[in-house]
Amino acid sequence: MESHRVIVCRCEEVSLADLIETASSYSCTARELKLRTRAGMGCCGGRTCRNMLDQVIEAVTGQKPDHAVSLGYQPPVRPMSFQLLGGRK
Amino acid sequence: MLDSLIIGAGPAGLAAAVASARQGLRVRVVDEFYQPGGRLLGQLHQEPDGTWWNGLAEAARLQQEAVEAGAEIRCGVSVFHVTRQDTSWIVSTSEGVMEASMLLIATGASETPVPIPGWTLPGVMSIGAAQVMTNVQRVRVGTRGVIIGINILSVAIARELLLAEVKVDRMILPAHSVISGDASHPVAVMQSMLRIAHLAPSPLIRMGSKWMKSTWMQRLGTALYPSRGFSMWGIPIQLRTAALAIIGVNQVEGVRIAHITPDGQPVSGTEQIIPADFVCIAGELSPLAELAAVAGCPFAYVPSLGGHIPIHNERMQTPLDGLYVAGNITGIESAKVALAQGTAAGMSMAFSHGSLRDPHVLSDSIKQIEIVRNNATLQFHPGIRAGRMQVGLMAAERSL
Repeated sequence: MESHRVIVCRCEEVSLADLIETASSYSCTARELKLRTRAGMGCCGGRTCRNMLDQVIEAVTGQKPDHAVSLGYQPPVRPMSFQLLGGRK
Repeated sequence: MLDSLIIGAGPAGLAAAVASARQGLRVRVVDEFYQPGGRLLGQLHQEPDGTWWNGLAEAARLQQEAVEAGAEIRCGVSVFHVTRQDTSWIVSTSEGVMEASMLLIATGASETPVPIPGWTLPGVMSIGAAQVMTNVQRVRVGTRGVIIGINILSVAIARELLLAEVKVDRMILPAHSVISGDASHPVAVMQSMLRIAHLAPSPLIRMGSKWMKSTWMQRLGTALYPSRGFSMWGIPIQLRTAALAIIGVNQVEGVRIAHITPDGQPVSGTEQIIPADFVCIAGELSPLAELAAVAGCPFAYVPSLGGHIPIHNERMQTPLDGLYVAGNITGIESAKVALAQGTAAGMSMAFSHGSLRDPHVLSDSIKQIEIVRNNATLQFHPGIRAGRMQVGLMAAERSL
């Protein structure tokens, strides 16, 4: 499959080829893959691509997911308005 | 202050609301969607005994029971964050801050579709989105579609599309890639489909599945599998065809497909483009545990349950004070199991609260989960029991 053409992280427009290349060059963890490519760091908070980052790491480096979640979750876990963030509601 | 705040008005959340409100707890349920019911809203399928499971009716019944029991249901509310402060849970939502002494996270699961070139084009959706549009919003998803990904969920939803007179041209596999896993492997897909063959509408398929039990038979079956596939309810299911790319300029116009070997490799010279104005991608389901994570709950990684599961005991308690989980966040299973888990979680909260005095009521509700699981017509994963045992052991290690 033409992996360069598959967008994995839609928010930051990171392709499967970018992820595979980064994972192989640095033989890194899912967290490092995220920080190097920005995949999973867009406005949706990685809701679509989070699992795929783990899958790329497992396929490329052989690291199995651990009991601890590899990519942390930070609040807010849903997009929220500035009005709400500012405490107007 | 609320005794119990329940996040998610699906089968687990609503059942928990009914059980705990009936025991006299002050209960509120919040849900992101504008209508309570969660995934129940889209479900419509025929059981092997011929009766129909109508999720919409089931959701309406649960909603009515919850309201009659005194629970409050608020829809269109998103939860951003949960934290524990002194003896209560502080829940930040799009409708302001809510406080409760106990919190039940029943957020269900999310879909993890397999990415394919062109999957970001308008007209491509997850199979669950097609189900919601068809059965809940009553919107026609298109006039001629292709379903990429053959599994229990996508076959069931294909039939729902058919009942709504939406044409599904065929069901095929996603092309092999680094992250497509078993979904692009015809033999693996055949094996998982054989586990649900007893639900098939055709006696021929049901009979065939009996002598397909051994692995070499399955390999042979996959090798001999006709390229135009078998039909279920008139929809061709083509295990030996893969989607290489979804094509179109401004929206979906078609799918480039090719025949594949039993191991999932494309056969050169067999490529062709088939027209389509919508495409559904069916992947796996993954427990939606983000709120449990920000709450600080520890996890267990259990592939047979769908991924990372908040650690919990049989009373649906997590190691965090006053934090409970129920439904698909604890592992991917049917709506009926989620319902039974919700009832147990509701009883468990009532027991902790002190309003449920009789411990037998609680233990009976826990036993009921196992009874429902044993009677289930399909198991989402053969390793569910082993997976649940592992989570139970990890809870016991934390003296839960």
